[in-house]
Amino acid sequence: MEAIKQSMLDKLSVEQIKIELMRTAFGRQSTFLSRFDPRMLLVWYSFFAVAPWFIHNKVVLLGLLVPMLVLTLSSKVSPLVLIIMGVGLVSEISYILLGSLLFGGSLEAVWPLLTLTLKILLISLASIAVFSSMDPEKLSDALLSIGMPGQFSFGVSYGYRMLPILIEEYHNLIHSFRLRGRAPAKKGFLRVNSLIYMAKIGVRAFYPLLLNTAKRTRTTVEALEVRGFTYALVSPEAKKLKLSHMQVHALDFVFLGCSLIYVIALFSLGHYLSFSFN
Amino acid sequence: MSAGSKEANEQRPEGLTPIIAMQDVQFQYPGAEGTALRNINLIIQPGEFIAIAGTNGSGKSTLCKCLNGLIPNYYVGDLSGSVQVAGLTAAEETVSSLSRKVAYVFQDFENQLVRPTVYDEACFAPLNYGYADYRERGQRALAMLGIDHLKEQWIWQLSGGQKHLTALAGALSLDPDIIIVDEPVAQLDPYHAKLIYEKLKLLNEQFGKTIIVIEHHTEFIADYCHKVILMDSGTIRWVKPVQAALSAVDELAALHILPPQVTLAVRDAETAAGQVHLRDRLFPITIEDAAAYFSEAKILSQTNNALVINEPIRKSVRESVPASNPLVTFTNVSYGYKTITRERYPVIQDMSIRFYEGDRIALVGNNGAGKSTLLKLISGIRRPSAGQLDVCGYLTKQASPEQLADFVAYVYQNPEEMFIEDSVRKDVEYFLKSRNSPDYSSFVDEILHRMRLTDLQDRDGRLLSGGQQRRATLAIGLAMRPTVMLLDEPTASLDASSRREMTDMLAQLDGQVKTTVIATHDMQLVAEWANRVIVMHNGAVALDTDQRSLFSHVAVLEKTGLLAPQITQLSQRLGIDPPSLSVAEFIASVVGDPSSPHYVNRSKESAAIGSH
Repeated sequence: MEAIKQSMLDKLSVEQIKIELMRTAFGRQSTFLSRFDPRMLLVWYSFFAVAPWFIHNKVVLLGLLVPMLVLTLSSKVSPLVLIIMGVGLVSEISYILLGSLLFGGSLEAVWPLLTLTLKILLISLASIAVFSSMDPEKLSDALLSIGMPGQFSFGVSYGYRMLPILIEEYHNLIHSFRLRGRAPAKKGFLRVNSLIYMAKIGVRAFYPLLLNTAKRTRTTVEALEVRGFTYALVSPEAKKLKLSHMQVHALDFVFLGCSLIYVIALFSLGHYLSFSFN
Repeated sequence: MSAGSKEANEQRPEGLTPIIAMQDVQFQYPGAEGTALRNINLIIQPGEFIAIAGTNGSGKSTLCKCLNGLIPNYYVGDLSGSVQVAGLTAAEETVSSLSRKVAYVFQDFENQLVRPTVYDEACFAPLNYGYADYRERGQRALAMLGIDHLKEQWIWQLSGGQKHLTALAGALSLDPDIIIVDEPVAQLDPYHAKLIYEKLKLLNEQFGKTIIVIEHHTEFIADYCHKVILMDSGTIRWVKPVQAALSAVDELAALHILPPQVTLAVRDAETAAGQVHLRDRLFPITIEDAAAYFSEAKILSQTNNALVINEPIRKSVRESVPASNPLVTFTNVSYGYKTITRERYPVIQDMSIRFYEGDRIALVGNNGAGKSTLLKLISGIRRPSAGQLDVCGYLTKQASPEQLADFVAYVYQNPEEMFIEDSVRKDVEYFLKSRNSPDYSSFVDEILHRMRLTDLQDRDGRLLSGGQQRRATLAIGLAMRPTVMLLDEPTASLDASSRREMTDMLAQLDGQVKTTVIATHDMQLVAEWANRVIVMHNGAVALDTDQRSLFSHVAVLEKTGLLAPQITQLSQRLGIDPPSLSVAEFIASVVGDPSSPHYVNRSKESAAIGSH
């Protein structure tokens, strides 16, 4: 039992979370979705992130869930991300259930709310599948090519570069607090005191992190200036050159086409099935 | 041959026109009281390798920023006079046109890397400037520096030296005529610093680039640079050929620039022998020249030729069994971390070692040898994956870092990660306050006074200078009244005077703490401060000895990429046994003057260690 507890704690450590985050961002795996042009993926995603809100037919929603699950699994998503999503869903369903029972409702009330949960699940899975298959560099180029400002698309890829450094520094700052602080002597019920202590440190460590980052930025801004970043912002040739590597292939259209056919098929089936249900 | 060298060769015949010409340049930062630069007149020929030396705030960086157009285009201040760079008149150009001719590697080069991978970084500037061959340019820059194999690496995975080379590659890809590198040695260990200089030398000699380094490590200046520009409060005091520049020993010392140890040695030896120096006397500045000089025995002939210190060679510290119990005991400790492929990467491997009261331990070894990890294990923020680590009676596996903090203070390599409050005083108090120590305030006053921080106590630690930051972190550590003090690279990136000050403060620690462990690359600190040296290599102890015998283990030094201090190398070349660890010691052994105050000091010190 103690060993299991220890191994669970290990899994939940900051170190572990750090690794999983890094894996998600820098894993560089080739997946099914990563083969396609990032702009095509954005088009694909913008449909599946919005459409579920307007679909009320449960058959269609369930039908959409199948390819989403397959795509998510094919994207080799970090278990951490899935666990967080799972925890969110389970807690949502249970509080709905609890609420409905408390206020004299019955399981009846849960049914329509479950539809909402299903929609959220669909959208989450689509996001996870697309964004974990598309590294931020591709995303940044895609955003630039669809007309986002250069500063914005650069911000995405710069965040990507800075993420590990910020995580590392944050971790060190937390250690700074711990190496000079004092943990509560009594751990309290369900370690509540320790949790509060750690949570406090977790928040306070952000302040030095922000200040240190602000200080570092001076060199970064000068370096960007020297290395032609502002020059490129106003130069159409530089933008063209930067985006010249992106090409839409036949395969991209095949993928979009298949998705479209599947959705149409699903709607007709849903239409037919809901009629026969009634 | 790449295109870069061809172009350079074509430029050579035109070498008569200077590549940089500054005339009566004066600059004032907006809102600043005084001028940052005054009366700057400077001519630099193509293909020169130049060092700019001077104290902090003497205008070195400001001068260089005039060359790539950051001044006056980015820092809009009052600039007068004329600046010509690589055939361009700076006043008529923009940052982007000038920086294609002038590459700049910043002192905090890590912050100039803005792309995720090495290759992206190398291509970034040519891509921004719209060069269609940006890929080839990036590739070529990487090849010139011999780092093509790092191409696909993520920036965050690189070591400090690799990051510096990447920053250099990012600048090189524009094929500039001039390369400015701001304090390359400050943030790097000696091995990588040498590597960077070798690359700069290559760029200078093979590709004809003009190199300007801002540098105060005179041993590097002596080995690589042709000329030295000495700056002092916004003006150029002089420009001299390197040997003449470094022979101006007293003038440099007055500006807190430490001349090479071998130069000092020759000067002091001659002074000790009663010679009077002419003003323009040139001293040897490299080990080779100094060795040749001493071999000719100009000095030695006047004294006894026996190069022996009248002192028995001390036993290794480890051979004498200490009476006290160990404070820190590693028993078969291993530690590894998980990489993003979820594999375990071993850092410390099956290590068993003990630290005792009175130990002043220098932990040395190349990057990645596990030095910092060892300190983190002792502090409790890392826990051994196998084996037992006992610190002051606690097993670190079962104790929290907060519990261990009652005995152990750990001073980080990066001071900024230790400033968790908004003033130095609050940071120093933090530990005592969290433990509700009674009357801590007078104790804090005392520590601040001792670390000369009283006037700075209300400032934010982040805004202090490098030397002040180190003092502040040391004060934070001292306020914890630790039994074991752990310091990670306390002298890194400090200028000569701050370094000296830090070494003095470390020497004072003895009365405050029972044992001190310092992870360091600074071999002069090792030679002058430590009484026990642990050499780490690949996560294991390669050697555990005292500082004097360390430098006679040539094979171990070579394997672990360590370089003995210049003076030690010189004395070894001259066959002095045991080798000298400081200039004073060296003088005492060649001139044989036991009345020298340094000599007396050292004898006392070694007597104290001997009785340990």
